[in-house]
Amino acid sequence: MMSRTRRRWLAGAAALAGGLAALAGTPYRRAVARAPGAPRSPAGVIDITELARIVTDQEDHVSAIELADWLHAGRPRLRVIDLRTAPEFAAYHIPGAEHITLDRLAFTAFAADETVVLYSELGVHGAQAWVFLRALGLHRVFFLRNGLHEWLDDVMSPTIAADAPAEAKAGFARISELSRSFGGLPRVLGGDPAVVAPVPLARRRGC
Amino acid sequence: MTAPWIETDTTAGALAIAGVTGIAFGAALERAGLGSARKLVGQFYATDFTVFKVMFTAILVAMLGAFWLGRLGVLDLARVAVPDTWLVPQLVGGAVFGAGMAMAGLCPGTSCVAAASGRGDGLAVIAGVFAGVVATGLGFAPLRTLYDATPRGPLTVPAWLGVPYGAVVLGVVAIALIGFRVAERIEGAR
Repeated sequence: MMSRTRRRWLAGAAALAGGLAALAGTPYRRAVARAPGAPRSPAGVIDITELARIVTDQEDHVSAIELADWLHAGRPRLRVIDLRTAPEFAAYHIPGAEHITLDRLAFTAFAADETVVLYSELGVHGAQAWVFLRALGLHRVFFLRNGLHEWLDDVMSPTIAADAPAEAKAGFARISELSRSFGGLPRVLGGDPAVVAPVPLARRRGC
Repeated sequence: MTAPWIETDTTAGALAIAGVTGIAFGAALERAGLGSARKLVGQFYATDFTVFKVMFTAILVAMLGAFWLGRLGVLDLARVAVPDTWLVPQLVGGAVFGAGMAMAGLCPGTSCVAAASGRGDGLAVIAGVFAGVVATGLGFAPLRTLYDATPRGPLTVPAWLGVPYGAVVLGVVAIALIGFRVAERIEGAR
């Protein structure tokens, strides 16, 4: 049986920890960024005019090559979010990606200074998630335009015709270097068959 | 480096982690003397509040631990799964569970502890639990509507009440400490 004194010490410690908790702010590692005056719950506010402008100006998405550049350069405060199912994520995901499904996104904490890139199998869920996070007040959020397919096609297995113009070949050389840094396999179509090899791909279905 | 350090999406991984934590939980229950049905039913007769005190202490330790580890950056709470809530079916399930616990004097966890320590009533309760699971499975069709009713997603008290996490932590600590005091006074008066 624990002594009365010890119990009082433990109760005091719990009261102190609880009291300080009320003053300590959020326990989340990253505070959720919210627009001024936005509600505290996951329910958000959409500025339709602003969102329409961003979409029109194509500032809502990134290409797979852009994302690869960001990852390769070690862009600070970058978070890549995979919205697919857990088995799909386990089978393959973009290096460094976190797995957060669409229904849990609103309950995930993001800091205002983080750059968030969302992707799913195709582009649809990524775009929908982009709207959700914009509604929650995040500004530096993008989705991968054509989802994981674009990553697999453009980064993991980029191709170029053997008789492509020199300018295109120069660009492809840079992409090839980027691709290899992620374990990809650039291919020259109609060129040396030795470099044409199958690339392990994730299952392609749904979005 | 931030916890959780182990993440698993596989059934085998989840079962392995559940096995380890379950054994630790059972050991703690046994140490607290909760393998005895007499001790458990004592709280319903207001003679022994050990169960209340042990369980509420566990809640306090876990809650304060999660809050402060998260606040200090050791644990990333955003990566800790919160089970979904189905309000009405869980209230009904809680009532059925409570009635069964009052009648048996054991809950599923303590029944395993009781059985492991050689008590026949523990084995009987485990058999009853499995019989209930099988019966529910066989008669699931008419329960389906209730089963799917009032989904609320991964609801938390702070989100539900719209108050900061820290305020909820303080409230739960206050309720626990007041509860402990009242329980000991009742025990002392008997």
